[in-house]
Amino acid sequence: MAITRRQLFSGIAKAGVPTAIAVTVGTDVLSAGEKIHIPNAAVGLLYDATICIGCKACVAACAQANDTPPDTRGDNLHQAPSDLNDLTRNVIKLYKEENGSVFSFVKRQCMHCLDPACAAGCPFQALHKDAESGIVSWTEDKCIGCRYCTITCPYHVPRFQWKGFNPRVTKCELCSQRLDQGLKPGCTSVCPTGAVIFGPRSVLLLEAKQRIEKNPGRYYQNRVYGETDNGGTQALYLSRVPFEKLGLPELGPESVPAKTLRWQRRFYQYFALPAVLYAGLVQVIRKNLKGHEDDAHEREKETGLRAQL
Amino acid sequence: MTTGEKQTIATHLKNSGVSRRNFLQLCSKIIVAAPIGLSLTSHRTAAQVAKIVGKARRPSVIWLHFQDCTGCTETLLRTSAPDVAHLILDVISLDYHETLMAASGAQAEAALKSAIEDNAGKYVLVVEGAIPTRDDGVFMELAGRPSIQVVKEVASQAAAVIAMGSCASWGGVPSADPNPTGAVGVDSVISGKPIVNLPGCPPNPYNLLAVVLEYVTMGRLPELDQFARPKFAYDRVIHENCPRRAHFDAGRFAASFGDGGHRKGWCLYKLGCKGPVTHASCASRHFNEIPGVWPIGAGVPCFGCTEKGVVWQMGTFQTVPIHLATPPETYPPIYSTSGALKVGAAGLVGAIAGAVGGAAWVASQRFQSSMEAGVTRIAADRAHAEKAKAPVEKPVAKKED
Amino acid sequence: MSTAAIEMNDARKNRWERNVPVYGFPVVNKFFLLLFVLVLLAFVLTGYRELAGLGPVSGMNDAFGWGIWKTFNVMVLTALGSGAFAVGIAAWVFRRKRMHSLMRMALLTSFLAYACGLLLLGIDAGRPWNFYWMVFPWRWNMHSPLAEVAICMSIYAMIPLAVENIPPVLERLWYFDSRLRPGVEKIEKRLHYFFPWIIAAAYLLPGMHQSSLGALMLLAGERVHPLWQTPWLPVLYLGAATFMSFGCVAGTTMLCCLVWQRAMDMEVLDEAAKITSWLIFGWSALRLLDILFRGALGTAFRFDRFAGVFWLEMLLILIGGWLLLRSLKTHDAKPMFAGYILSSAGGMIYRFSPTTLAFRPNPEALYFPATIEILVSLGFISLGVMGFLIAVKRFAILPAPLSEWHDMANYFRFRRPYIRWTGYFKYGHFGEDETTAESE
Repeated sequence: MAITRRQLFSGIAKAGVPTAIAVTVGTDVLSAGEKIHIPNAAVGLLYDATICIGCKACVAACAQANDTPPDTRGDNLHQAPSDLNDLTRNVIKLYKEENGSVFSFVKRQCMHCLDPACAAGCPFQALHKDAESGIVSWTEDKCIGCRYCTITCPYHVPRFQWKGFNPRVTKCELCSQRLDQGLKPGCTSVCPTGAVIFGPRSVLLLEAKQRIEKNPGRYYQNRVYGETDNGGTQALYLSRVPFEKLGLPELGPESVPAKTLRWQRRFYQYFALPAVLYAGLVQVIRKNLKGHEDDAHEREKETGLRAQL
Repeated sequence: MTTGEKQTIATHLKNSGVSRRNFLQLCSKIIVAAPIGLSLTSHRTAAQVAKIVGKARRPSVIWLHFQDCTGCTETLLRTSAPDVAHLILDVISLDYHETLMAASGAQAEAALKSAIEDNAGKYVLVVEGAIPTRDDGVFMELAGRPSIQVVKEVASQAAAVIAMGSCASWGGVPSADPNPTGAVGVDSVISGKPIVNLPGCPPNPYNLLAVVLEYVTMGRLPELDQFARPKFAYDRVIHENCPRRAHFDAGRFAASFGDGGHRKGWCLYKLGCKGPVTHASCASRHFNEIPGVWPIGAGVPCFGCTEKGVVWQMGTFQTVPIHLATPPETYPPIYSTSGALKVGAAGLVGAIAGAVGGAAWVASQRFQSSMEAGVTRIAADRAHAEKAKAPVEKPVAKKED
Repeated sequence: MSTAAIEMNDARKNRWERNVPVYGFPVVNKFFLLLFVLVLLAFVLTGYRELAGLGPVSGMNDAFGWGIWKTFNVMVLTALGSGAFAVGIAAWVFRRKRMHSLMRMALLTSFLAYACGLLLLGIDAGRPWNFYWMVFPWRWNMHSPLAEVAICMSIYAMIPLAVENIPPVLERLWYFDSRLRPGVEKIEKRLHYFFPWIIAAAYLLPGMHQSSLGALMLLAGERVHPLWQTPWLPVLYLGAATFMSFGCVAGTTMLCCLVWQRAMDMEVLDEAAKITSWLIFGWSALRLLDILFRGALGTAFRFDRFAGVFWLEMLLILIGGWLLLRSLKTHDAKPMFAGYILSSAGGMIYRFSPTTLAFRPNPEALYFPATIEILVSLGFISLGVMGFLIAVKRFAILPAPLSEWHDMANYFRFRRPYIRWTGYFKYGHFGEDETTAESE
């Protein structure tokens, strides 16, 4: 043998460590990978809280469009979901100031983030962002029911079915089955005031900006929530009251997964660093194991008792 | 009884001295009773309707009574203003009606016969009451013949049959369990004739009028639902147009008769109102020309008289399932509450924490100085071994734990 | 021989030189039966959970998607069970030779903690039948911390940990019957050949998933209180696992010595305490500096439950570390044990906090485990404790002075000769069938 095993390992280590470190911290390669990609045919919703009248037609239409039974668990009478839940993909909530001076409705459904935290955390890609339309949808036969999505989603959207032996995760999937038939999502097809409209994200964004331009001062910070928030979302919001009060947290322009998992992602990039670490560990342990075994056999002779390794 | 061609309605009304104003009022009432679903009322103004109705010839109507309470006839007559009942009877030509006509006995029989013969194939047969079928229908006879024969005979010459009221529609009260007479509705007995069911106990007379006038003016019956009820009156449930609906949506319910909520006119759902499953126009077309005169308006829960599967089948105070669950007028807050602290679980956690903590505390207190730990036992063991080694006799008793 | 004679050998008498089974104590006693009942109850309740779903049996809700099955039995108890990782690295990588005597305890506690945690993880998963995706690496979401945890943990528990626990079993077979010896030796030889790779994996994998457990909560973002939420969470989680597992291994060993009246090697325990205390102080410094530099220190002085939990865990950990340091001077077991208990308890709260105590999905939400949930959790802990009790009484796990081995041989020879199935009594010494020799 021309080279010993030791030489081989040290050679690998010498070449591997710099490579691994470069792969891990080298920013050029990685920041390209971390850039958020906007799907070509990104569709979305534009919800204008200032023209929503809170009729909840969208709540009923959503249940109908998705063929879910109405959630009457509140009082056994009404379709009165207290929040998004296993039967509710879309809900109208009310924000009211303590003294009642200011109020605003807010429609909550999946934001279809451009870089969704739920999909970033989902272990087996059960939650998946469609490359074309950008719709984040759930796949039944990939989900292990770990409920990590309910922890990670910054908007607290995916909901787990707590009853039954075959639980599902429920979230707005932008009525993709209706889109395939050339229909609009259930909520947008019934809204009497046009508070929620459906369309390509770029068009909706333009529309939202036009509304802000036409009515300066009407909207909070003259800003469209979702343009850049959390790296950008495909559901866009306009509101008179601060978005935070409507349950839409200020997350900054960087998406949650990009912000929080940067080092985690880099560490496991191509599995380079773990592999180098492993190789190093094997080397060290091989050496130490030898010493330990020698010691043990020494003691075996000394004590007359079989060595315990 | 008139013979041959009937006069037009307009002519007859003129001859009877009915004012145009009254006639227009009637026409507007028909528009209200059947705002959609009738080609007659697709003309928007009362004058237009009056024009069309006025041109039509008075329809001949034969009205037969079977197992009934005559409530349906009463509702036709009990209008708040005498004029109106009169008016209705002027618009249609009620050629045979056992309750309203003066004749009796053989005279009455003759009247029926002549009415049939005069208008054969043209008259409208209105049936009130259920028809007994058990034991060849012996439970009710007219002039010695079972009613089932009579209705078949009269219907055979009729242009159309209208089942007036729930009894005629499917059997109504007489058909309630155990149904001793085998009472059934008209449509179970007669076939081959257009039948319109106007269930209700009683039904609104304007529904009858609208059906009859539609038939005589347009020459066809209105559109019917799966139970042969005209859609213009029976396509929606009471719940949809109920004046108390706002209370339902807001979750305000009368809990018992006479309580505060009941007096305030809150929703009667929890008192057993069958409005959410009952298809009828009562909520929009009240009775006796007086607004608010209908069960729910009077503070009495709807008992589902137009629904075969509800009235006489469900308990009076039993609540019905809501098929059209719609959002209420309350809203969830931005943050909904979830989770609960149960005393038992908290106690269990406390007990476990206490047990583990206590055990750890006791254990930590029992650690002797390190050098002595285990020494006592080793010494004892070894001493024992020394002792036992010398003469091996018998096993010693089990060591204590 | 008298007590005085033993005292003469003070220097050597307590030195842990060999792993010796606990002998002279029956496996089944009242405590064991209690555990057994708890385990049975947990199994029955588990069956109910599989049929009824998670809602009826647990306090989990839409806001708190994770309950104690994940956050305590997995996140906290596998930290306690990281002994194979932390003690192992000290022994094998940093060549702390004395730590080798604690290795078998570390491996056993790790294996049991991981096995019971993973079992409960399977029960906690809503759709466990889809776990088969784990077999297809191209289905993994490589960047998901949870995928990393789930896959890594399963592989770790099933391969390196399980393999590392084989030697005591082989050893027992070796002593059990001389006819088994050639086979056992052959297997041992094969095993030793692969050991470097397996041991290295046994350090890499837990290092990865114990830190990824922390990375899990990174994605929760601002919903975790700023006193806990930090980019350093993976490092802190891993660090907490190291000192907690030292506490678990050393503390359990001390407790065993107390319960079964065995000698304690203060040299080994002192070294473990020293390592643990430095781990604790290093970890605490890192944590406090991180909080300081992130500017979150202010939230620690608010009068709310988060500040309370923060100070509780920091005080427990720091007092524990201080007690450990103090015990180094006096060589006293009492503060040492208390130090391990307190620091581990503090560490447990720390590992529990980001998912539960300091997790604020919305201001109105609350999570408290339901009774059934607690009982199942307790049952699976009991299963681990039962496994531990059986293992230490049947296999050479607990470290002991060399004399203990001879005492065991004597014990079985003279006091329990009627027990034929224990094995150790038969071949107490190197290669020789003593009972046969005795009876002849």
